[in-house]
Amino acid sequence: MISSDVIRGYNDTIILYLLLDDDSYGYEISKQIKELSGEKYIIKETTLYSAFNRLMKNGYITSYHKEGTFGKRRTYYKITDAGRNYYKEKCREWELTKEVINQFIKEDL
Amino acid sequence: MDTIITYLNNMFAPLPKTAEMKRIKEDLLANMEDKYEELKQSGKSENEAIGIVISEFGNIDELVKELDIDVASEEAGEDGIELTSLSDEQVDDYLDDSTKTGKLIGFGIVLCIVGSASLVLLSQLAENGLLFGLSQDSGAVIGVVTLFLLVAPAVGLFIYSGMVMEKHKYLGSGFYLPADIRVSLEHKYELDQRSFTTKLIAGVALCILSPAPLILLSIINDSAAVYGVVILLLMVAVAIYLFVSSGTKQDAYRKLLKRSGKKGSGASVDTWDDEEDEKSEPKIIRAISAVLWPFVTILFLITGFFFHMWHINWILFAIAGLFLAMINGVYSAVKEKA
Repeated sequence: MISSDVIRGYNDTIILYLLLDDDSYGYEISKQIKELSGEKYIIKETTLYSAFNRLMKNGYITSYHKEGTFGKRRTYYKITDAGRNYYKEKCREWELTKEVINQFIKEDL
Repeated sequence: MDTIITYLNNMFAPLPKTAEMKRIKEDLLANMEDKYEELKQSGKSENEAIGIVISEFGNIDELVKELDIDVASEEAGEDGIELTSLSDEQVDDYLDDSTKTGKLIGFGIVLCIVGSASLVLLSQLAENGLLFGLSQDSGAVIGVVTLFLLVAPAVGLFIYSGMVMEKHKYLGSGFYLPADIRVSLEHKYELDQRSFTTKLIAGVALCILSPAPLILLSIINDSAAVYGVVILLLMVAVAIYLFVSSGTKQDAYRKLLKRSGKKGSGASVDTWDDEEDEKSEPKIIRAISAVLWPFVTILFLITGFFFHMWHINWILFAIAGLFLAMINGVYSAVKEKA
């Protein structure tokens, strides 16, 4: 299980990645995070909604309402062009971060 | 599921009730509901599922920080009006009291009608010489006494009901119904809807059928027809009980769930104004019966004692009963449409 402190700076990246191909809503996104991380990272509800709010404020995603499969009204999120650019930027940033941190990681201790 | 709703409710309790907050809370609830359902389907027990959902909720402060909420400034409502945010207990209390008073008022009206029916019955029994050989006039007097004996507790019930509902008056000045309570209330309302419909149909059927015994018995002779009137009144009484008891409860749900009256961009502000309250079903019935029954009784006594019209003036009660049933029926139909 990953501590949420470590991953904090990349919650936005994770969410944007999941929105690249398709619009989605809260529960679906948190389920995908859990599955793709092999259940090593479970995002908290409040973390997820803080991220949605932050991303919307910055114009990286937009939201709209849609009736779900069982007639439940859900808030769907859609990535914007600005969001895609931001995602690319974050990917580059991660490459750099990985490179730098790796310099300080000793494999065989 | 109720535990989750309560949990979420508590988490949001100190936060301002803005539209944004409401939306986030509804989304969170929907997510948690989904998670809960899936956990239960995967074979988790109720308690396990609730435990997992709550442990994965996170920290409300995180959300508060992100949303830049000024928690201190929440007290004043959106338009500067302070709104009571209803709690679970307040909603339940209001519903329980409405159900109870609906039944009491219904029962009070039944007592009034049964009183009238016994008056008709007793004077007719006396006339037919079936009442211990008493004369027709003394039969009528006994009937009138019975009527008053039944009307007195009925009036007591009306007053008591009014007093019980008095403590819920604050709802009239506007309230905010939190989303989670609204959701569970809507669910309850849907469940009760079937019983409301059944009672309404049964009541209308009784009203329609009520003249049938009268018509059938009037074929035999005039005094048999009087017993028909008694049966008619009793049927109408049952119908009115059904209308009033279920109508009052339904009314309570509608008031709580009322969607109109939302103001501005802020929290949903639910109010019901007195004007509309006047039109509400139990009140109109209460008002009309409060005037109608004593009036009819006085008329009955005057026509009886002064004009010796005992043989025909019982019809006043039949007319009054039908009149009330008619108003009730039309009112329910109109309200159903609205």
